[in-house]
Amino acid sequence: MDSALKPRIRRRSTFEYVAWVLSTLIGLGILISVSTNPNFKWGVVARYFTHETIIRGLMLTIFLTLASMALGTLLGLGLAIMRSSHVKPISIAANIYITLFRGTPVLVQLIFWFNISALYPNLTIGIPFTNIGTAIDTNALMAPITAALVGLTLNEAAYMAEIIRGGFSSVGKGQIEAADSLGMSAGTRMRKVIIPQAMPSIIPATGNQVIGMFKGTSLVSVLGVAELLQSAQLIYARTYETIPLLLVASLWYLVMTLLLSYPQSKLEQKYSRATSRLPRKAKKVVLTEPEGTLR
Amino acid sequence: MSKDGTILAQKIRKSFGPKTVLKDINLDIASGEICCIIGPSGSGKSTILRCINGLETVDSGVLKVNGEDFGYYETAHAYHAHSPKKLAEQRTRVGMVFQSFNLFPNMTALENVMSGPVLVKGADKKQAAKRAQELLASVGLAGFGDYYPAQLSGGQQQRVAIARSLAMDPEIMLFDEPTSALDPEKVGEVLAVMKDLAKKGMTMVVVTHEMGFAREVADSLIFMDDGYVVERGDAREVLSNPQEPRTQAFLQQVL
Repeated sequence: MDSALKPRIRRRSTFEYVAWVLSTLIGLGILISVSTNPNFKWGVVARYFTHETIIRGLMLTIFLTLASMALGTLLGLGLAIMRSSHVKPISIAANIYITLFRGTPVLVQLIFWFNISALYPNLTIGIPFTNIGTAIDTNALMAPITAALVGLTLNEAAYMAEIIRGGFSSVGKGQIEAADSLGMSAGTRMRKVIIPQAMPSIIPATGNQVIGMFKGTSLVSVLGVAELLQSAQLIYARTYETIPLLLVASLWYLVMTLLLSYPQSKLEQKYSRATSRLPRKAKKVVLTEPEGTLR
Repeated sequence: MSKDGTILAQKIRKSFGPKTVLKDINLDIASGEICCIIGPSGSGKSTILRCINGLETVDSGVLKVNGEDFGYYETAHAYHAHSPKKLAEQRTRVGMVFQSFNLFPNMTALENVMSGPVLVKGADKKQAAKRAQELLASVGLAGFGDYYPAQLSGGQQQRVAIARSLAMDPEIMLFDEPTSALDPEKVGEVLAVMKDLAKKGMTMVVVTHEMGFAREVADSLIFMDDGYVVERGDAREVLSNPQEPRTQAFLQQVL
């Protein structure tokens, strides 16, 4: 055989063969154990997988995720803009907010908002120093779902603020100078130059936050909000089929996470290409030398 | 007489922390003058250019651009900073071309050129687009309007950047080493555009290492070193017969 045409074979180490054998054995072992152990009660899992209570819980989980992400991102954008402000008190205020909300566990924050009526029993909306306005019972206002939404949103805003600010600072100094030298106002510079260019680093990180938030909503089960985990808990409190119902919830979390990670990876691809986008009209252009007419 | 297109600097001082980069800068650039600034790196030549555009503020001294105090207004005892709006307005009258082009990568070449008139002056989009097409054609880039900066060569990007500055109809154009980041074979196309511009009577201040350009196009030449203007005079005169020993030493190295 002609030496120039011979294929080149990749070298496999002994370790690679050993790893294949070991991981196959362990994998098979786990599979057999999981499928033969009657205590997993796969029949129960199948029965409850599309149970009405579970589906309603799943819908609430999806709603909480989307709502708190949307509100949290908006608030986070505001905080990020405040944080990068040159006006010291504004930037410090945003910094304090971010530090407080990132520095304490979200579970504690959720319970705190749920019990806020202990601090402020009545919330008065009105004009200061006048009698105009109405008082609202904080306890009634802070229903579990409100507390959940407020807690998740305020916490998410702190994280999104840091992600967005990181995106802002990924935009080169030269871009800001170019915008300034054209005489752009700070607002226009932010909207037309900084934010569009910060997107490639903000979007993928936000996708990660959505996935994290989806699983994070399980924390609000402590407030008695009937989201996915709490729905499963409600059922097994009655039937004592704890493990099968936790499996039901886990499978749904897994399914949704996998569903979300597909658009997430698409977004990442899209924005990693952002700097080398193709022309809108793909046409062949011949290089021309500068000609002498300047207007 | 109108002072449009003039630059006057008297006793400009500027420090970055403990480092004083401009020590005693005096400039007097007439309308339509082509002035090249040369000097070793760290001599302050880029800094003085950036001060004229407000990208840096001066610590003390008088800086008048287009006959107006730039960035500040004078009272009996001090200079007070202008509002951002007034500063932006003054900046629109001074175009700046950067070493690294700094085109907006999220906009096409055409959108880059339109960005100033549309986003700053609130010009009509259709008219701005038409004018931007003309400007692109004038820098030899007719038909490149739909391309993003990343798809253009360095020389093409720099020409788009020049068109973007020109779209604001500035009285003064500043060039901060416009050809330093280019492949040697692309330098010529950018210099050709600049020569063309010089013929139109635009006031130009060019920080450059292109001695050929300085000799051919510039009216005046400034040699800066260590925060001072060491020598200034007629461009060809200074290049062929420098008076100061520091200028002589520098030119010997680069020519």
